[in-house]
Amino acid sequence: MIAPSIVVAGAGGVGKTTISAAVAAALARDGRKALVMTVDPALRLADALGVELTSDPEPVAGSPHLWAAMLDVTTSWEAIVHRYAAPDVADRLLVNPFFRAIADRFPAAQAYAGGEQMAEFIESGMWDVVVVDTPPAGGGIDFFLAPGQVRELIGGKLLMWLTGARLPGRRMLYRITARPMLKLADAVLGGPLLEDVAEFLLDLRTMHDGLSVRAQTIQRHLARADTLIVTTADPTPAQETARFFATLEEVDVRPKAVVFNRALPAEWAAAARRPVRGIDDAAVRGFVRENLKRWGAEARRQADAREELATRHDVPLATVPWMAEAPDTVAELVALFDAAHGLTEAVG
Amino acid sequence: MTAAIAMLAARSGRRVLAIALTDRLGLAAHLRAEPPEYEPARVRDGLYLSAVDRSRALDEYLKLQLRVPQAAPTKQLSRALNVLVDTAPGVREIVSIGKPIYEVWKDEWDLVVVDAPPTGQIASYLRAPETIRDLVPAGAVQSQAQKLTATLTSGDTGLVLVTTPGELPVLETLDTIRRLARSAAVPGPDVIVNRVIVPIDLDAATVDGLPPGPARDAAALHTQLVAGQREWTGTFPDAPHLPFLFGLITPGEVAARLSDLLEEVWS
Repeated sequence: MIAPSIVVAGAGGVGKTTISAAVAAALARDGRKALVMTVDPALRLADALGVELTSDPEPVAGSPHLWAAMLDVTTSWEAIVHRYAAPDVADRLLVNPFFRAIADRFPAAQAYAGGEQMAEFIESGMWDVVVVDTPPAGGGIDFFLAPGQVRELIGGKLLMWLTGARLPGRRMLYRITARPMLKLADAVLGGPLLEDVAEFLLDLRTMHDGLSVRAQTIQRHLARADTLIVTTADPTPAQETARFFATLEEVDVRPKAVVFNRALPAEWAAAARRPVRGIDDAAVRGFVRENLKRWGAEARRQADAREELATRHDVPLATVPWMAEAPDTVAELVALFDAAHGLTEAVG
Repeated sequence: MTAAIAMLAARSGRRVLAIALTDRLGLAAHLRAEPPEYEPARVRDGLYLSAVDRSRALDEYLKLQLRVPQAAPTKQLSRALNVLVDTAPGVREIVSIGKPIYEVWKDEWDLVVVDAPPTGQIASYLRAPETIRDLVPAGAVQSQAQKLTATLTSGDTGLVLVTTPGELPVLETLDTIRRLARSAAVPGPDVIVNRVIVPIDLDAATVDGLPPGPARDAAALHTQLVAGQREWTGTFPDAPHLPFLFGLITPGEVAARLSDLLEEVWS
C-alpha cells in the first residue's frame, strides 16, 4: 500500500519544521498513523518529538499514533551505496575522498537522500500518512530537483563521455585520466586528486541501473504528494516562494496550498485606525495605541502580501498565527495546527 | 544587509561594488536594480552591482588566474568542468569566492561588499582556499589559493554575520563562529543582530489588565516576543541590534531604512 504523503517545502527560517510537526501531530490526534520526517529540528521541537531522533522512525512518547524520524545525510548515502553498488565498489566508494565530500556537501546529495528515505517510508505500509520536512539546501527546492539531477549525474551522456561508452574496468583508470577533458581538469585540480575523481566517476557508473530506476520512483512519489509551501510575508521569503512556483512547474509539481507562518490577524489593520477605548491611564493608552499602530501596519502589509501571492498564482492560502513561543510539546503543536486557518483543508 | 552596507558606503562618497554569490535577484531587489550580470553594472553614482555566474567565474579562473591555454572550452567541455566544480571539494567555493577577490585586486573599488550564502555554508566558502591547499600539494592552484588567503587575512577584509534573535539563527551563528575560529585563514567575524523587537513601556501585568481586543492582543504579542528574544539578544551583548521594521513592504524600503540605522550605529 502506498501511503499518502505531504511534502512541506519553503525557504529557510520560515518555520517549515514546526509546521511539518504540527501537521503530523494533528493528523495523529485525529486517529491516523502519522510519521513526520524532520531535518535538523530546533532543540525545543526535538524535545517535543522526543530527544532520540534518529533516521529510524520512533514512536513519540505520549502520542499513540505519531512517529518521528530525522534525516541523517551520511547514513543515508552509505545505505544507498550499499544497496546499489557491488560490495567491493561500495567499500572503495565509501573511503573515496570525493564520495565523502559529496555526501557532506553536494546539495543534491542531502536532498536525494531525503527522497530515498521518504520513498521507503511511504512504501513500507506502516503509516497512514507521511509528512516530509524538506532539507534546506538550495532554499528547499533541491528536494524536488535532486532525483533528476542524480539521474543526470550518473546516467547522463556526460559521465559516459567522461569515462567512455562501455562500462570500463578499473585497469582503464589511467587511460581515462589521459582523456583531454580530464587533462584540462588536471590543470584545475592537480594530479593526485584527479585519480580520485576518475575512480569515483567509474564506481558511480556501476550504480547507474539501480539508482536511476529508484530516482524515477522518487520523482513519481513527489509528483503524487500534497505539496505545501511555507513562507512568511517578509519580502525575501515571499520572493523565494515566487521562484518555487516557477521551478516546481518544471518538475510537474503543483503546490496544494501556500502556508503563511507568523501571520497576524487581518483585523488589526482596521483596529489600528480606530481610537483605543477603555483605558483610563493616558500614558498607558498612548503606549498601547502606538503599539497597535505598528502591528496594524504590519498586519496590513502581510494581508497585501498574501493577496498578491494568491492572485498571482491562483493557489489556496492557509495562515498560521504568530506565536511568541515555539511549541515544545505535542499538545502545543496540535494547538498551533488548530489555531491556523485553512490548514485542515490543505492537508485533508 | 549587504545592500544596506553598500548603500551606506556609496552615500559617503565611496566607489562600491556589491556582489551576489548565490541570491542575485534578492540583492538586486534590495538595491532597486535590474537583475545583475557577471560584469559589474552601474546602479547609481558610486554603486555598482554584479553576480557570480559559476561557469563565467570558472572561465575567468582558468584563463586569468591559472593561465590555462585551452580555456575556450566547447559547450560539452564546460558542462563537464561544471560537474567537476560541483563535485571536487573546495573547487566550487574557490571559483565563486575567487571572483570578488579578483575585483578587490583590480583596485577599482573603495569597497567590495559580498552577499554570501546562508550562515550554515559560509565556513566552507571562506575555508575553500585552505581546503584546496591541503588537497593539492603544489602547482598553479596552490599558489592561487595562497594569494586568495592572503587577501582574506590582510586586515582589509571583514566578515559580518547577520543573525536574528531566535534559537536556530543564534545557534547556527555560534556554530559558524566556532568553525571559523579553527582556521587562521579567515577574518574574525562581527555580528549584527537584526529584526530585534524593541521593548515598549508596558509590563505584563498592565497588558493583562487591558480590555480585550486587538489592542491588548498586539500588546501581549509584543511583550511576549520581547521576553522570548531576551535569551538570544543576550548572546551577543556588544553587537549592534537593529530593530524589526514594522509595515515595510518592498526589499528596497527595508534596505534603505537599514542603511540609515547602520549609519546611526556605526557613527
